Amino acid sequence: MAGQKDVAVVNEVEAHELLDKIIIRQLHLMEDKMRCELNIESSINNACIHLAKSRYIMGQSSVSTTRLPTESSPDFAASTQCETIEEDGIKQFSLVENNSEDTVNPLRWFGVLVPQNLHKAQSIFQNALNYVVECANVQLQIQENMKNIQAIKNYINSLNSS
Amino acid sequence: MALHAAVKGKLISVIGDEDTCVGFLLGGIGEINKNRHPNFMVVDKNTPVSEIEECFKRFVKRDDIDIILINQNVAELVRHVIDAHTAPVPSVLEIPSKDHPYDASKDSILRRAKGMFNPEDLVR
Repeated sequence: MAGQKDVAVVNEVEAHELLDKIIIRQLHLMEDKMRCELNIESSINNACIHLAKSRYIMGQSSVSTTRLPTESSPDFAASTQCETIEEDGIKQFSLVENNSEDTVNPLRWFGVLVPQNLHKAQSIFQNALNYVVECANVQLQIQENMKNIQAIKNYINSLNSS
Repeated sequence: MALHAAVKGKLISVIGDEDTCVGFLLGGIGEINKNRHPNFMVVDKNTPVSEIEECFKRFVKRDDIDIILINQNVAELVRHVIDAHTAPVPSVLEIPSKDHPYDASKDSILRRAKGMFNPEDLVR
């Protein structure tokens, strides 16, 4: 509400300056988002090579969807979750470890003695989750900024029409 | 800090090809809840588009999911449903896959953000 009051007293030149600032910030955020996506991409590519190596060692079907739990398998909880923190009115995600007892080690789906490559792939994907959360945060900011840009545009239009 | 500890973590769900799902589940985001509902869906070339759509809508409706990861090539199949989802939470993140590199021009959020830079609106 306080923000709207501030906007109400600025004149058109100031409104345009504010719009410029927000748009520049938006462009930076878009660049950040693309950078995060490229980080995710390189992580996935890296990890997939390790998955492929594990497949080569253990056999084609041993690292596949057939090993993933299905609706008929016993229920379990995710070991990595995300939580929302609100900072200065902006929602942000952060990763949290779930320490409850009903979590499972995903490596066990693929066997007891799994190759080193599968461990490596796991750690790369765990690391990729950090990029995922970073990317989701940037995306939230982009959406917030879009709202602000629209609000300022509407204000400028209302100044022009009056 | 006590308040933070009290907040229950939300899930990250994934819709994607085999390697993406296997990988992120290895990373520890997979869950099958008490009602036997998984938070992931593996899409192969035989998966009907209607099933992907349904799954995406189901994930959006679930209040224990905060982030939905979807492969960009899968997102292309259900683009209209993704474009219709404008709420910030759950956050829909289009991720590249092994076979399909990231294409910023297809990303829903970036396209929407770019759409705001209409040159006619920005001139004084």
